[in-house]
This record gives sequence, structure tokens and C-alpha cells, in this order.
Amino acid sequence: MQGEVRLEELTKSFGDVVAVDGIDIHMPPAEFFTLLGPSGCGKTTTLRMIAGFERPTSGRIMLDGTDVAQTPPHKRNVNTVFQSYALFPHLDVAGNVAFGLKYQRLTKEERRRKVKGILELVRLSGFEDRKPEQLSGGQQQRVALARALILTPQVLLLDEPLGALDARLRKDLQVELKAIQHDIGITFVFVTHDQEEALTMSDRIALMNSGRVEQAGSPREIYEGPETEFVADFLGVSNLLEAQASADGSGCSLRIGERTFHAAQGATDSRGEVKVMIRPERILLERHDTPGDNRMPGLVERAVFLGGLHEVHIRVLGGELLKATVSNDGKPLDVALEEGTAVSLHLPRDGLRVLAPSQPPADSAEDAAESPDLTAPSM
Amino acid sequence: MSWLRNPWGRPRWLLIITILYILWSILPVAIAVLFAFNDGRSRTTWQGFSMKWFTGSSGSVFHDPALQGALKHTLFLAVICVLIATPLGVALALGLQRWRGPGGGTINTVMLLPLVTPEIVMGVALLLLFLRVFPDIGVGTPAQAIGQVTFTLSYVVVIVRGRLTSIGPEYEEAAADLGAPPRDQLSRVVLPLLVPAIIASAAVAFALSIDDFVVTQYLSGNASTTTVSMLLYSSARGAPTPALNALATVALLITLATLALAFLVYRRFAGGGEAAAVAALEV
Repeated sequence: MQGEVRLEELTKSFGDVVAVDGIDIHMPPAEFFTLLGPSGCGKTTTLRMIAGFERPTSGRIMLDGTDVAQTPPHKRNVNTVFQSYALFPHLDVAGNVAFGLKYQRLTKEERRRKVKGILELVRLSGFEDRKPEQLSGGQQQRVALARALILTPQVLLLDEPLGALDARLRKDLQVELKAIQHDIGITFVFVTHDQEEALTMSDRIALMNSGRVEQAGSPREIYEGPETEFVADFLGVSNLLEAQASADGSGCSLRIGERTFHAAQGATDSRGEVKVMIRPERILLERHDTPGDNRMPGLVERAVFLGGLHEVHIRVLGGELLKATVSNDGKPLDVALEEGTAVSLHLPRDGLRVLAPSQPPADSAEDAAESPDLTAPSM
Repeated sequence: MSWLRNPWGRPRWLLIITILYILWSILPVAIAVLFAFNDGRSRTTWQGFSMKWFTGSSGSVFHDPALQGALKHTLFLAVICVLIATPLGVALALGLQRWRGPGGGTINTVMLLPLVTPEIVMGVALLLLFLRVFPDIGVGTPAQAIGQVTFTLSYVVVIVRGRLTSIGPEYEEAAADLGAPPRDQLSRVVLPLLVPAIIASAAVAFALSIDDFVVTQYLSGNASTTTVSMLLYSSARGAPTPALNALATVALLITLATLALAFLVYRRFAGGGEAAAVAALEV
């Protein structure tokens, strides 16, 4: 199988600013791989380095075993779908789609057949003679996809390709993109800041923060097993609590306020001050004063009905506000979801996760970026 | 001043001032053009309509050897100027756009210098240059062409760079991404996208060349290198006939037609705002 990408100690600095800080990422062949992160985390720079638009400051970009870090973009067998599509305005749809075929040895007939085939794949047959400006956003996006896919790249790079579309179209195209990727079986490297999009589409996600990879894994692994506070916070909704950790057999004993909890997940070998997280759907609401371990009392502050579930905000002893979700599955509820109801929150051992501290942001880069101001000679 | 009290009212007096100004600025040109069609030798007294100063058998634009020569030399210089300044300016603009090293800002400023240098200064300087430093070239047609290229080049660079900036680097990246080597990125993507700017800048260079007086005058060698503007200036105080008006009218028409063409082409490809900016650059 083709299309395996390995980034090794890849670094990119712009002047004093380190945009990508020595990342190592493995993108297995034929997978839908997502680079996820907030703006400025280095995900787009990473993508642009794989495409060849940016030259790495150091490190390797292994494409099926060959280092292409110093290969110019037109000699790399990877293609890009740009955020703004970058369709050539002076060419029609057929001209755009056939643009790169000039560099493959094909007869006129083969070329025509390929264009026809790829336009069928993206459901744009009959649009050959249209100019890009005559197409809707979704259609332009599909032309951009066709223009890249027709060259059968080892890897397809997508830079927030759905960013400019409205919510409804986004959802449709998410499904469509994923289906196309599955059908043609090449590696997709997808850049987005939208965690929901990443969870929906990806086989694997690398979550980036300040130029580094915070955590990589399948959507499920990252959602269920965030290792750091940043990951827990960025992906999905989490409740974060401060605790004192101490040893406790196989797991770890946590002192949260006046109470002691047991946690079985995450960095259970941590000691001292730690952060603990639990997903809202893992919190169980029980009648006030229900006996048992891993429970804390609280007052319902707000309950929002969301159709399939209720989102309940509970103020616990000590002042923190926790979010819990209660499924609207037709079973009668144990507790009344009304403001002021006293409840007991059950935080099961398997749902409580001890987090490792987040990697500090690249201090060196920030210091370096600031120093010119501080040391600039006064003129 | 009703608009001061009523924000929805139309500022009528502004409109009146604008119309008066437009009439005033057109008036001298209109009178000059009118007398090109005078049926007599006077340039001040109307004696009836005639085309004789354009097509008449003697002393007309199309038959007087001096007028003809000036017109031909003017157009010849303009064509040479366009043919040199346009490709050179496009190349410079492309080069400057990619200039990432130190000194980029300085070079940009230097490129704009001819736009703000008083033309008389440039004329004198060029004259000295051709007489003292490059005496082999001397004054005459080549010096006039080089002089005109020197200052029209800046206009070409400014127009083409403006377009390059609005195009952005993404199309080139897309072309590279699809396998196009740098030469093809230029020929298949960048140049086609620059077509409106190239046509516009060529038209501006053409119009500037036809209109130019100072530099062309300084670098003129003899009677054979007289242009329309020089002829108009030198014979204005001699024994002028409406043939001069006719000559000026022809020059004016050529300039206007060129600029109109540039404006239309540019608007067709690049939208009205930029086209207006280009038109304003010249007028």
C-alpha cells in the first residue's frame, strides 16, 4: 500500500518564531489522518511542508520511505485541496481538472476519459465548460478535489477545505469526502480546527498545540483517553477538577476537597497536585445522600433539554460547576432536574482520569521573539 | 446648505461645483478641437466647418511633411517605448514580488522614484548622461526611446505589481502542486492572470509616450526627431494654422482611445475598482 507519511523531527521557524517544533508523526497508508488544533498551532505549516510550499528548517518528510523534505512541490506526488480552492479563474472546469495531466504521459483520448471519470466521481458531469466563478462554493470545492485526485497522488492534502461552506453543506461533504477516501484508498491528510469534523471523519488524529503534537491516536482513543489538560479541553466537553493524588493499590487515590475518590484511568502514577477530568456523560446523577464511594453532593443549577439528552449544570461543594448529561431514554429519572435540587454525583473510577500536565508552550520561541525588542539598541 | 440640516438631502451645491469644474477643464480642449475644423486660417474666429486641416491638399495633417513626420515619429517612439517598457516592467515586477532578501524596501522606493522626480530634472539629467557619459548614443531617437522607457517603466511596474499582489501566491502554489515546473507556473497561470494588467500598463506607457514633452524635447537631436508635442510647442508662437489644432486633435484621440481600451480591458478582467485606479494613475 502506498501513501505512508512519516514526519521526523520536523521543524519550521519563521525568523524567531518556531511554527512547528520538532514533531514526529506517523501517517499510515490509506488512512484519513487529521491534523487538529487551534489557529496558530502549526497544523497548516505542517501541511504546507508536506506539500512542499514551505521548506523545513530541519527534519525529514518520509513519503513511502523517501525523504522529500528538499524536493520542490512540482516533483512531489502529493496534491493539495486549498482552503480557498485556488481554482484557476482563466480556465474552465475541464481545464482546471486537466491542468496537471500535462505532466503525465497520456494521449488526448486517455486525458479526456480521465477528466470524464473524475468529474463523475465528484458528481460534476456536464459542468466541463463552466468557469469557476459560475459555480457554487460546494461545486468549486469538488472541482478542487477532482483536480487533485485525477493525478492519483500518494497522499492528498486538504487544508480546511470545508471552512468556507455553510453548516448543512459541510455535513454532506464530510460524509462524501470520507466515502471518496474510502473508495479510492489513498492517504488523506486533513487540516481542521473543528473538533467535531475531526472526530467524524478521521481514522487517526494528531492534536497539535504551539507547534507540537499534544497527542495522536484514533478519535476514540483521544476522546476517551486524553493525556493532557489541553487535549481534554479541546476535544469534546470535559469537567476538570484539581486534586491531590496519592498511591492506592493499582490505581490512585484522589483528594478532592474534603472527599476521597479513586481513579483508574490516565496517569495514575502521578503524585501531588494533579488535574482530573471526567466527561459529562460519565457522571451519574443519583438521589441525594446515596451511599458509596466516589460520590459528591451538589445542587442542580440549570438543566437544559437538548432533545436526545439533558445537559445538567451542577454546583458541587467547593464551588465548582460540573456538567453532566442525562440520556433522554424514556426511563424515569432518579432525580428531579430542577434548579435547586440536591443530588449526589457519582464519578465512577473508570470515568475519572488523571491528566499529565500540558507541555509548556515553546518558551524558547517566545523568548526569542521578544528579545529583539528588549535588546534593540536605542538609536 | 440643506444637506447640513437634512442628512438625506442631496448636496446640490457640491454637484454644481463639480459640473462647473468639469466644464472648465474641458473648455480649452474643446475650443482647440473645434478650431481644428475651422474653414479658414484663423484659430480664433469661426469661419465655418471644414475637414481641410485634416485631409486638405496642402498644409493639412495628412499632407504637410512636417506634421506628418512629427506624427509618425511620435507613434514610432510610442511603439518602441511600449515594446521595451512593458516586458521589462513585467519582469521587474515579477522579480520584485519574489524579492525576499534585505534591501527589498529600498528597491521598491527606488522603483517609484521616477514617478515623483520632476520631469525637468530627469530631462536635464538624461541629457547630461547621453552627452557626457554615453556620447556614442548621443541625442536623437535612441536617446528619446531610452528616456521615455526610463520613466514609463515605473508605471508598468506599479500596475503589474498591484495586480500580482491582488492575485496572491496561491495560484502559483496550486500550479506547482499539480506538477507544473516554475516556467509553466509562469506561462500557464501567472501570465494569463496578468493579461489585463499587461494590456493596461502597455496602454498607459503608450499614452505617456505620446504625451511626453520635456524628456523627449531634451533628448531630441534634429528636426527628424520632432514629436507632436514638440511641434505644437515650437510653432505655437510662429505662424500657426488650424492644422496644429488638427494635429493635437489626432494626438488627443489616440491617447483617449488607448486609455479607454485599457480601462475596458482591465475592467473586463479585474473589476472596476482597480481599473479606476489605473485610469487615475494616468489622468
